Amino acid sequence: MYIETRDLKKSYGEGGSFVQVLKGVSIKVDKGEMCVIQGTSGSGKSTLLNCIGGLDVIDSGNVSVAGTLVEGLKGEKLSDYRRANLGFIFQFYNLVPNLTVRENIQVCEYLTKEPLNMDELIEVLGLTEHQYKFPSQLSGGQQQRCAIARALVKNPKVLLCDEPTGALDSKTSRDILVLLEKINKQYGTTMLIVTHNNSIKNMVDHVIYLKDGEIYKDYMNENKIPASELEDL
Amino acid sequence: MGWILFKRALRDLKSGVARYIALSLLIIFSLFIVISLMASADTIIDSTVISDRELCCEDGEFSVFVPLRDEELAKITGRGVSIEKMFYVDYALNENQVLRAFKVRENINKISLIDGELPSADDEAVIERRYSEVNNVNVGDKLKIGEKEFTITGVGATPDYNTVIKKISDTVVDSRYFGLIFVTPKAYDELYDSGYSIASEEYYYAYLLNGVMTEDELKDILEDNKFDIEDIEDEYFKEYWKRMTERKDELLDGIDELKDGAEELADGADELRDGIEEFHDGMTELHDAVPDLTDGIEALDDGAAQLENGVNAYTYGVDRIESGASELSDGASSMADGTSKLNDGSGEFKNGVIGFAVTANTMAQSEDPYIAGIASGFVDPAFSLVSGYEQINSGIKEVNGGANSLSEGAYQLYDGIKSLNSNSAALRNGAAELHAGTSELLEGASEFTDGIDELYDGSKEIKDGSVDLAKGARELSDGVNELSDEANDLIDDVFDFDLSNLLVFINSKDNPRIDSAADDVQINYSASIIFGILLVVLFAYVISVFIVHTIDQESSVIGALYSMGLKRRTLTMSYVAVPVIVTFVSGVIGTLIAIFTPAGIPAQMQDSLSYFSMPKMDIIVKPFVLIYGLVIPPVTAFIVNVLVVRNRLIRTPLSLLHNEQKAVRGKEIKIKGLKFIPMFRIRQMLREIRAGLTVIFGLFMSLLVALLALNTSVYCSNVKDSYINLTNYEYMYNYKYPTEEVPEGGYEAVAESFKKEIYGYTFDITVLGITKDNPFFDTGDLPDNDSDVVLSSSVANKYNLSVGDIFTLSDDKGERLYAFRVARVFDYTATMFVFMDIDRCRDLFNEDDDYFNVVFSDHELDIDSGRLYSTVSKEEIARSSGIYVDMMGPMVTTMSVASAVIFLVVMYLMVKMMIDRSAFNISLVKVFGFRNREVRKMYLDGNFYIIVIGALISIPLCKLIMDYIYPRYLVCNVGVGVTAQYPPVLFALIFAVIIVLYLAINLVLSGRLRKINPAEILKNRE
Repeated sequence: MYIETRDLKKSYGEGGSFVQVLKGVSIKVDKGEMCVIQGTSGSGKSTLLNCIGGLDVIDSGNVSVAGTLVEGLKGEKLSDYRRANLGFIFQFYNLVPNLTVRENIQVCEYLTKEPLNMDELIEVLGLTEHQYKFPSQLSGGQQQRCAIARALVKNPKVLLCDEPTGALDSKTSRDILVLLEKINKQYGTTMLIVTHNNSIKNMVDHVIYLKDGEIYKDYMNENKIPASELEDL
Repeated sequence: MGWILFKRALRDLKSGVARYIALSLLIIFSLFIVISLMASADTIIDSTVISDRELCCEDGEFSVFVPLRDEELAKITGRGVSIEKMFYVDYALNENQVLRAFKVRENINKISLIDGELPSADDEAVIERRYSEVNNVNVGDKLKIGEKEFTITGVGATPDYNTVIKKISDTVVDSRYFGLIFVTPKAYDELYDSGYSIASEEYYYAYLLNGVMTEDELKDILEDNKFDIEDIEDEYFKEYWKRMTERKDELLDGIDELKDGAEELADGADELRDGIEEFHDGMTELHDAVPDLTDGIEALDDGAAQLENGVNAYTYGVDRIESGASELSDGASSMADGTSKLNDGSGEFKNGVIGFAVTANTMAQSEDPYIAGIASGFVDPAFSLVSGYEQINSGIKEVNGGANSLSEGAYQLYDGIKSLNSNSAALRNGAAELHAGTSELLEGASEFTDGIDELYDGSKEIKDGSVDLAKGARELSDGVNELSDEANDLIDDVFDFDLSNLLVFINSKDNPRIDSAADDVQINYSASIIFGILLVVLFAYVISVFIVHTIDQESSVIGALYSMGLKRRTLTMSYVAVPVIVTFVSGVIGTLIAIFTPAGIPAQMQDSLSYFSMPKMDIIVKPFVLIYGLVIPPVTAFIVNVLVVRNRLIRTPLSLLHNEQKAVRGKEIKIKGLKFIPMFRIRQMLREIRAGLTVIFGLFMSLLVALLALNTSVYCSNVKDSYINLTNYEYMYNYKYPTEEVPEGGYEAVAESFKKEIYGYTFDITVLGITKDNPFFDTGDLPDNDSDVVLSSSVANKYNLSVGDIFTLSDDKGERLYAFRVARVFDYTATMFVFMDIDRCRDLFNEDDDYFNVVFSDHELDIDSGRLYSTVSKEEIARSSGIYVDMMGPMVTTMSVASAVIFLVVMYLMVKMMIDRSAFNISLVKVFGFRNREVRKMYLDGNFYIIVIGALISIPLCKLIMDYIYPRYLVCNVGVGVTAQYPPVLFALIFAVIIVLYLAINLVLSGRLRKINPAEILKNRE
């Protein structure tokens, strides 16, 4: 498996505030898959994503991404792991405010020796005319596209998306999802998408549903529909 | 990526351009001042070294009573030492101004011309630089000394008068009233011969050892030089000499007498020893006889006891005899009576017998034969009886007579015995007393024996002592002989001038006139380095607070970049770039302005040039100064910001993504019992504790600068005040050749000059012996012993001395040390005086009972100038007293303003940043309905307490630090013992200024607070 977790457990707090967020989650995602992780608020979906991304430290279990065991990595090695394998897309974009679109993308271009073609990427993402604008001069969708470009430019093996459309309107959300679909096809990028949007599950290969920190459903979507045809976004 | 993030840094810089410009201006200003000070100090120090070399600055100088003879000079110069005369004479130009005239120097302490040329004619002169500048005497001007007029052909400076002070012990340069003039040798002589000098000519020589002789060797040679009294023509000196030699003779006579006395004492001690030995022999005999005496007294006591017993027995016997005699007398009397009666009876018996015989006879003749027969038988016996009776009667009569005699004798015997017995009691008492006496005598004899033993022991000790005494007396005599020799030497030393020609010997390092500008700026240099770094640290830290603010704002972005694999080091560098750029650029600008503008190094040098008399000098910028200006600021900023930023970026990506606020101990404290706004205010203060501490740090640094300025101001002001207020005399006359009589209206004193070192600098301290009635120094009663002194507070302050301390002073030549104990400290800071009673002072320094060398007066006295070294008037003191205030005034103002600006900028930037950080929250509370006044209370007014606390801590702390630093490093080269003690009102004023500045900033930022638009902020947040 390209991404695999085994009996992954994660908790926060102690004493009265102790919360067991993940209660032994085991998932498997193949290379090139688009996988959606769904669940209600507090179900542990973002925590699972963070554990896979090496942003959070697990209590027990295993996380393996592209053959790398994540749970033992610390410091520079963890950075190297993320640098070599991952791209992140966040709900609130997190662009460097005083860098232009192009420069924001260049920040991550630096992180790899074999980046994607920047101009092509910008064009693919429809940012050509905005590439010299600052984030504050862009709409939410444009900012998110910029964030996606930033995440993709280093040609990551896995793209981790945490509520990528959470801050966007319906139309922009569709555009972003179409884009992700396109990237998946064009670059073969494995994607883990955390979302509470129920429609998105229809466009992906693999759906995992978390409930109270446990796998509630885990199935392959046999009836994928294109992102452009998604409804109720 | 590096350059991309660098772009980000540049844009960050651009977005905060106002605050960075403000900080940059502060750094530029600080670096400008620091680099100016350092480079000007370097220039002055290095130029001094260069000019000392080029102008052949002396290795030292000495003065003599009479000029050295050629052979004496040859003795020194023959060994390779260079010597040049630096004779001078002081002339009064007018009522106030004194010019010291020298011949133009040839080889040592040469004149460095700033303008013009050396005099070539005898009516030409070079004027000293500072005098020229201050009095506007320039090349081509005429200057009249007495009747002789000189044309100024040049303006110059000499290395031996870097500090142009009249006396070496002077502390203040005032070129308005004193300067130097250099003329041709002929003009010099003519000038002196004109008689317009205000004091006698001083014979100074400058020397260069040239590595062929040590200073001590030269000094020894000079001390060995004698001069011939006959060579001296100065009438005052001759008079003085006569008196002093007489005094010396008296002393020598006294020593001879002492010597004779010691000899006599030794002889007497020998005799005493002999006498005591004899006494001891007698004592020994006595001691030996004492046992016999004791035995005798014991025997005497026994005899007395026996005598007493005998007397008792005797008196008892006499008593008995008296009784017997009485009885005998009575018996004898009775017997006499009996014999008388017997006699009488015998008469009757006789009559009876006769009658019987007659009768018998008659009867025998009776007719009756019978009767006659019978009777006749009786007639013979009867007559025989009568005859027997006659014999008996005769016997009775004799017996009676004997009895009477016996009775009489017995009575006489009794009477005699009675008389005898009447003395028996006295005899007995006497015997008893005698015995008691002998008993006491015996006891006394025992004590006597003990006493004799002790006496004997004492006598023995006395004998031994007398031997020692005699020996000691002999040694004393020998010692006195030696003492006499030593005293003769000592007298020779004390009256050194009569033998040794040397008066003053001082090397250039100890000469406050030489290289003093370099010494002075060395302090600036050291202080600049420290202050520069502290200021850069402050500003770098202020910038770091902004960076931290930016990091907090960009927390999620940083988290996102971390998530992508960006490393902390890369990000740290990007955030550190701004402070490094700002400080580097500011450092470069500040350094360039300092180096290349007249306001920089030249202006800083001007401070020195307007006080010291220095040759022309080219600006020298050493590599260290460039490194300091160009490298230290960015490096400091880099270190400070790396430390701060790294700590901020050490969080996990997730923590950054979530913008989790690190729980800081102290911020979680529970606040109970307060109303909402005070509680909120405290919370806000805790939240902004970093900015608050930065404000306090800024306040602290500003106060350090401000208190440096204030200390300087107070110090200079105290110098001025003490000079004016504590100088009670109008004139002080320093005698070169003292007279015997004190001028009328003057108060004599004995002044001896000493040296004492502190913090690497040696200053002159004058031991001043004054009379009890001296009205100018209210010292109270002066101690009546040689070691206790009353200290002027100037000495106490300068040398950290207090009552009970013992301190030492060394004489001018550094050969003798005098130890004194501080009996009292007298509030007098005008001069570094140590006060003694004049008589004690005279005794201590072996001066005559009427000796004095200083006279104080409240009016001008008529004293021949030829007798005097110098005259100091209160007017002169008052005139020069303000020089420090005048000199330091601009610096005080600049530093005060600088400190206020530092405080204002740091305070403004920090509080503004606090507001920016809280903009969203401020919007919220405004949305909730809080009024601007309440918002101000919540977000701004808490800073008032930070400022108050910061001020209350920083003001005394900075004052303590400054009081420690100031005397040790900043005025350590100033021979003034004034403190920079603030009046309490000044502390209040400093506090008030801080509060006013805070209120001003508060007012400005209140406007900013009001301008925060809740809708816009909340919209941006969305």
